[in-house]
Amino acid sequence: MERIMILNGSPRASKSNSRRYGAMVSACCKGKAEYFAITRQNHRQLAEQMERFSHVVLVFPLYADGIPVTLLNFFKTLEEYPPENKPVISVLINCGFLEYQQNDIAVEMVRFFCRENHYPFGSVLKIGSGEAILDTPFRFLVSGSIRKFSRSIMAQKYRTFHVSMPLTKKLFVKASTSYWTEYGRKNGITVEQMQTMEIEG
Amino acid sequence: MKLILSDRPLQLDLNDQQEIRFIDLSTLKITNCVGCFGCWTKTPGKCVIRDDAPHVYPLIAQSDAVLYISRIRYGGYDTIMKTMLERAIPIQQAFIRIVDSETHHVQRKVAPKNAVILAYGADSKEEQNLFRQLVARNARNMNFEHFQVHFCTEDSLEAAVREEVKKWSGS
Repeated sequence: MERIMILNGSPRASKSNSRRYGAMVSACCKGKAEYFAITRQNHRQLAEQMERFSHVVLVFPLYADGIPVTLLNFFKTLEEYPPENKPVISVLINCGFLEYQQNDIAVEMVRFFCRENHYPFGSVLKIGSGEAILDTPFRFLVSGSIRKFSRSIMAQKYRTFHVSMPLTKKLFVKASTSYWTEYGRKNGITVEQMQTMEIEG
Repeated sequence: MKLILSDRPLQLDLNDQQEIRFIDLSTLKITNCVGCFGCWTKTPGKCVIRDDAPHVYPLIAQSDAVLYISRIRYGGYDTIMKTMLERAIPIQQAFIRIVDSETHHVQRKVAPKNAVILAYGADSKEEQNLFRQLVARNARNMNFEHFQVHFCTEDSLEAAVREEVKKWSGS
């Protein structure tokens, strides 16, 4: 029986969009998936748990153009304590930029890890505008992509998918400005304060 | 200002300490970015984690030439350097702009840079190619006007660093 381990590699695991994306994958896998967040302390445990699963879905955000340190450090532990039966590893990555292609290098890093360590590589879902899209009318686009991504894993017919807001770049800049302005406002911070050019000033 | 950011100790004889700053990240206490967006939306330009990173990212921002020295892992920077680069996001704003037809964050007061990356520990061509592509992406997000990536072994690293510093002295 197929069993899917969803691993959240976001540094802000419990508050992350990756958790929400992971929950959506889990819902599509109809009881066959279990969710875990990677923390600093649980690398060994997760590596041991991995033995029970036929598939792993890594869900994480793009950080400084690559995989976040949270995931990088987990990979290093996994290299040291690999499961005997290696699951197929799939990737769901999101970035805050409009272009889902900005995730490409991070995906290739995971692919490289898999090749070096003999893990079969599965499906990929690259999400652009992933910081905000779940709370916009475009959520349905992500839902559809996650459904297809999850089905491809269950059917073992691995593919690469992508999704982003269907906006022009200019419109995206405008929409993201409103999003971040509102984010700051909730913290009592004005646009002018957010736009400071000072660093540690 | 010129900045050498290294993930390991190096024996360097830097005559002009004012002009060239050397930081050995392996001696600093720098924890992971927690993705709280505080540096964008609560205390803009300042990280809420008050460890050693807030001493480093202003120097990254000020420098017009940087030399990054890092071990490579899975085609990217290894933990020490990557942790610092992730913690450097206070030098950017949350807001987005279009750069070279792509969306990227607006930079705060960040000097355009000539960047040289000395990478060690990447044995295969495949990993080296991946790392080159990563640095090309970094260039857009980290304000690199020009960049070069050089690969070397651990044994030849110090000599390679000295060679790069010598080029700075001649420039």
